[in-house]
Amino acid sequence: MNVKMSKVRGIANKLHERIDCLIEKCPNMTAAPYNYNYIFKYIIIGDMGVGKSCLLHQFTEKKFMANCPHTIGVEFGTRIIEVDDKKIKLQIWDTAGQERFRAVTRSYYRGAAGALMVYDITRRSTYNHLSSWLTDTRNLTNPSTVIFLIGNKSDLESTREVTYEEAKEFADENGLMFLEASAMTGQNVEEAFLETARKIYQNIQEGRLDLNASESGVQHRPSQPSRTSLSSEAANAKDQCSC
Amino acid sequence: MDELLNDVVPQEDLERFEKKYHHELELDGEVTSETKFEYAFCLVRSRYTNDIRKGLMFLEDLARTHPDGRRDYIYYLAFGNARIKNYTEGLKYCKAFLEIESNDQVRSLEEYIKKQSDKEVAKGMAVAGGAALVLGGILGLGIAMSRNKQKRDK
Repeated sequence: MNVKMSKVRGIANKLHERIDCLIEKCPNMTAAPYNYNYIFKYIIIGDMGVGKSCLLHQFTEKKFMANCPHTIGVEFGTRIIEVDDKKIKLQIWDTAGQERFRAVTRSYYRGAAGALMVYDITRRSTYNHLSSWLTDTRNLTNPSTVIFLIGNKSDLESTREVTYEEAKEFADENGLMFLEASAMTGQNVEEAFLETARKIYQNIQEGRLDLNASESGVQHRPSQPSRTSLSSEAANAKDQCSC
Repeated sequence: MDELLNDVVPQEDLERFEKKYHHELELDGEVTSETKFEYAFCLVRSRYTNDIRKGLMFLEDLARTHPDGRRDYIYYLAFGNARIKNYTEGLKYCKAFLEIESNDQVRSLEEYIKKQSDKEVAKGMAVAGGAALVLGGILGLGIAMSRNKQKRDK
């Protein structure tokens, strides 16, 4: 009878060990070291149907989303890129272009380090509305926010309504970076997102962007030795664990 | 998806659209569906459960009375319910949406809610399992002690 009891206790002890092990694993998961040095916040804005979500999808998934329905409210995407050997996590807020969301999506502008303003080269009206999008952006972001103008659907040359030269002039007049891109073929999509990041990074390096400002749209993640050692300890503990 | 769900509406925005809502209500005795939706959109992104519940009530009302914006209302009904961990309700709205329209945005919300609700179930089971173990431990100790006592008594 005693033998049986000790067996039961043995099993109970083992189960306790297992639970301790699982508990130890949990903080290990949350305290994982950051695998990036900076976070940049982006917003994508522009009229309905210009291809904002498709550009984002092409950038994050490297795929073209055909028959993309209208975004509801706001969508989110993320990707880690590299600038100057620094890993940067882009947090991209993709806003709905429908008029009914215009007022409420304004809150997403705040604290954006980069704004991608998109129009459709085959629909003149989307280009004509740029000044209103630009006014919103200037009013709701920082002076240091990098604004990148994208003329999307550059693959549809035959139905073009806005020339490259005209848009380039508009961009230069307003101090915007500019590219024509195609979310369908992927042409210039990487470039637009990456060049925005490079410009933001350059602003940081040259002191034009204050990292400590609450709405700079940039967070710095310096590597923290205490954090790293903690997680390596946890990793060791995991190795010793029999579960 | 976590970022989307954890993002909290700026207080000043919530207050601005709240003011607009009450202003219209006082002036005209009724509120346009746009204003109501704008206010609801802020409410469901609030950090407070009561605000979210209020937003959900507005959205339910809008979904009934204003068919034009129904897809937006249903999405945010799923979204708001997910934020207050009403996963069953949230999934119900995702399903209702996807029956009408195939949509990746809604599908990823649905997947997220499923994952969260599985996590909750697992957490519940872990707690129950832990409690059973503790109980078992105490019982075992009790039995062992009484056995010891018996032995000593002999």
